[in-house]
Amino acid sequence: MNAVLEFFKKPFLRKYTNYIVVALFTVIFAILSLTGGLKMGTQFLLEQIGIAVLLAVSLGMVVGFLGELSLGHAGFMCVGAYVGGKLSSLLVGAMGGNEDSIVALLLALLVGGLVAAVFGIIIGLPALRLRGDYLAIVTLAFGEIVRSVFMNMPERLFGGTTGLETPRFDRKYLFVFAFLLVLACLAVTQNLMRSKHGRAIVSIKDNEIAARATGIDVTKYKLFVFTISSFFAGIAGVLYSYSNVRLQSVNFDYNYSTEILVMVVLGGMGSINGSMIAAALITFLNVKLQTMLTGNLAVLQKLFYAIILILIVIYKNAPGLKGFREKYNLKALFDKLFKKKPVAEDMADGKEGDDAE
Amino acid sequence: MKRILALVLAVLMIAGCCAALSSCSKTTKTIKIGLSGPLTGGAAVYGQAVKNAAQMAVDEINAAGGLNGIPLELKALDDVHDSSKIATNYAELMDWGMQVSLGCVTSAPCLEFLKYAKDDSVFFLTPSASNDGVPNGENSYQMCFADGNQGKVAADYVNSLYTAGNLGKLGIFYKSDDNYSKGIYDQFVANLNSAIDEKVMSFTDANATDFTTQIGALAECDFIFMPIYYEPAAQFMIQGKDTIRDTAVYYGCDGFDGLEGQLGDDMDEIDQAISMLSHFNSKATEGKAKEFIDKYTAKHGTDTLNQFGAAAYDCIYALHKAMTELIAEGKEIDHKTDAADLCEMLKGKFNGGFTYSGATGSNMKWEGGFVNKGAIAYEIKARAAA
Amino acid sequence: MNFLSVLISGLGAGATYAIIAIGYTMVYGIAKMLNFAHGDIIMVGGYAMFVTLALVGHPVAAVAAAILAAVLVCVLMGVSVERFAYKPLRGASPLAVLITAIGVSYLLQSLAQIIFGSASKMLSGLQIAGHVMLGTLRINYVTLVTLAVTVVLMVALTLFIKYSKTGRAMVAVSEDRDAALLMGINTNAIIAITFAIGSALAAIAAYLMLAKGASLANTLGAMPGIKAFTAAVIGGIGSLPGAVLGGILLGVVESLSYSIPALAPFTDAVEFGILIVILLVKPAGLLGKARREKV
Repeated sequence: MNAVLEFFKKPFLRKYTNYIVVALFTVIFAILSLTGGLKMGTQFLLEQIGIAVLLAVSLGMVVGFLGELSLGHAGFMCVGAYVGGKLSSLLVGAMGGNEDSIVALLLALLVGGLVAAVFGIIIGLPALRLRGDYLAIVTLAFGEIVRSVFMNMPERLFGGTTGLETPRFDRKYLFVFAFLLVLACLAVTQNLMRSKHGRAIVSIKDNEIAARATGIDVTKYKLFVFTISSFFAGIAGVLYSYSNVRLQSVNFDYNYSTEILVMVVLGGMGSINGSMIAAALITFLNVKLQTMLTGNLAVLQKLFYAIILILIVIYKNAPGLKGFREKYNLKALFDKLFKKKPVAEDMADGKEGDDAE
Repeated sequence: MKRILALVLAVLMIAGCCAALSSCSKTTKTIKIGLSGPLTGGAAVYGQAVKNAAQMAVDEINAAGGLNGIPLELKALDDVHDSSKIATNYAELMDWGMQVSLGCVTSAPCLEFLKYAKDDSVFFLTPSASNDGVPNGENSYQMCFADGNQGKVAADYVNSLYTAGNLGKLGIFYKSDDNYSKGIYDQFVANLNSAIDEKVMSFTDANATDFTTQIGALAECDFIFMPIYYEPAAQFMIQGKDTIRDTAVYYGCDGFDGLEGQLGDDMDEIDQAISMLSHFNSKATEGKAKEFIDKYTAKHGTDTLNQFGAAAYDCIYALHKAMTELIAEGKEIDHKTDAADLCEMLKGKFNGGFTYSGATGSNMKWEGGFVNKGAIAYEIKARAAA
Repeated sequence: MNFLSVLISGLGAGATYAIIAIGYTMVYGIAKMLNFAHGDIIMVGGYAMFVTLALVGHPVAAVAAAILAAVLVCVLMGVSVERFAYKPLRGASPLAVLITAIGVSYLLQSLAQIIFGSASKMLSGLQIAGHVMLGTLRINYVTLVTLAVTVVLMVALTLFIKYSKTGRAMVAVSEDRDAALLMGINTNAIIAITFAIGSALAAIAAYLMLAKGASLANTLGAMPGIKAFTAAVIGGIGSLPGAVLGGILLGVVESLSYSIPALAPFTDAVEFGILIVILLVKPAGLLGKARREKV
């Protein structure tokens, strides 16, 4: 056991731990799914986790690395979902109704992502003029506009209030694609952030004027980050369209955007791994609340969620609780429980190192 | 890292609590009926009504011996009127062992539910998902009127008023981002006599508290068609009671049901006449509707009394009746019956001239999944004496 | 004539947004946080009035008592939310506070459903009926009352901020919190007072919405809250006249958009579109001061 942990602590491998973990998950679940070892609910949950992780990581680029607040991520997702969903339903129709066509899926992903990226550029342009919360409201406004426009497009085009009917990919495989896309997104973001461009982007967040003074093309980088981020949001949207039978534009409202923002903030600003883990856990939590609190208990879902949210944010952020945090945290708890097993501590340490970017 | 671990722990704790709460209701031998509806959020009143009424029917049936001695069991999941939550709910219900279903309370989620239920051949009879695309006559059946049909019937009525010279100026007020309202509106306009000149106003969810503008525009109308639910309708009537002509008529579809409970004593302050075309009237004074109203009100008050609940109550009883008849015909139905087998039996039953009479109509029959029953024109409030 | 009546109903709707926006803009200016739960304070005020109306028998006394109760409950709620959910995070990242505010919003909405049920309620006891006719133009009393209340509140608050000691302390805190602290201003108290004022305004907005005949549900304040936020930004965050201007503009645009049937379904898009256009032309809002950042 110790030897394995030691092996993973090698600097070369530590750099890629998160890839390995995601890849392992993908392979394990894919095998389970193919052999019929996964329940339907788990397959749906994994799809949702994949989509949420993509959204959180891509929003994390804008919020965590670039330091701009965006409240319209669901809007980019909506664009991707509708464009990709329309394309895939046309392709599937043309190919004789095979909803599981991989060609259609890949084409839809590409086109949905690209169109969303174009919208990212369109919204990124004002982002250059606006600062802080003004940008936040513009992105929120953008999301609401997209939602309203798609709903009121002619019914034969985008389905109107009944929603756009899109192909539903075989649930046995869809989450595997989602996880593979998470890996691709991880590769892009992580490599970008570890490159000199990434350092330039972070320097804009830390001090825009200083960054400008050192010759960094702030405009170019901001636009670049917005575009990449909305590309992946669009991809997530296409996956969403494939995981639902019908797209309802009303679901892409600002509440969805704030939900993604919660994942990014809880995961820790500027931490890709944090975003991924928070997205997975929050999705898991919400699904569990949804399926366990049924009937008369359903009203407690949002209450529990809200209380957990508030407590966690205060616990991990409140300056006044610094001493408390240092005394009572899970690492300390682990140390106490497993005093004779320093392994636990090692593990926590090992991951901590990777967390910081 | 600490934070993430904290998050993990919190999630596990909550999951544990939930598991503890939900495991209380574990029973063994029951006929399992699944339902998904908006138990929270903006449409919660409809989901709550369905859940309460369906549970009430289940309790009554169980008290009377269940289905051939086997009790029924209802599991209602919350979908917040959000179709993206349906896959999860459906999987959870199937995991639980759902044998037959009430589908979803609202249309958009129900269309989502339909896809999965059709693949697995799960029979469902929805109380209130009224979209025309829901019923298919294979596994999906409606207890309520379909939207398109309602729009057409309403248009026919308006056309007949026009031909008789009794229409006056026609106004329409609908909710543009709601598929119930939009669906009826589209069919209404499509079937409306083209000689009629109508004034159309609409609203959206984002602006559902202030109708002053729309009321001002409809002030001169004599007949106002409102294919919307009773909550915004009541608000429109209250806000417009001075502005809209005293002699005007408000005309709505089954969504109007619940208006009287919503308006309460304020009904007296509204001079305009109100009528609707529906399968249920929450002020019914006789028959099974009255029985349902009394029982529901005794248990849950009048807050959530509406046609959604009445239809859900009927759904449970209709399913019970169909299954009882099937058993009488020699079919075997018990807690072990597979959903697909049950679907096959129920499909044969519902497509083969099964009739049911309940709170929302008598001698109902099903054709292609659509319910066939008489729409009743209710006059909630007559025109005030001039 | 038709245009005028649309304009007037727009003014009425806008004035309500304006009152909420004033609260938004003050809290933002001083606490530097987007209070996503501000709209839900309106809903709390609505339920406070609902309970009071049920308790007090006499119709006129009930209205007065209801307004008073709503203001008290909202102030109490606003201040305690600030104390327990936001204050511990002072000095932390503004995003953490934003997330907490979202949490508080969920919390208030679900508590309201648990306590008062899912069915919406009509509070006709609060309604202001009647109208005056100017020629053929009909003006509802409630529109006049809303406009008057908005103007009075705006003027009173402007004077308060300009001339009272507390008001000037508020300006100081909003300009530079640390410097204000050094000057001996109790910034915590000032922030609490701001939340109290903002919440009281939310209570009054709740009254005006219900006086217009809105039905009370746990989502009563959610969308108006977002609209008011939009209005505050249109007017320039931090500026009281800006908030009023933004609110009125938004209300009129909304009203005009609804009056054109083909455009009506797109009203949400139109309103938010106006915001984007205005920010593109004036990045700090209509009356906001563009701040040059110094190195």
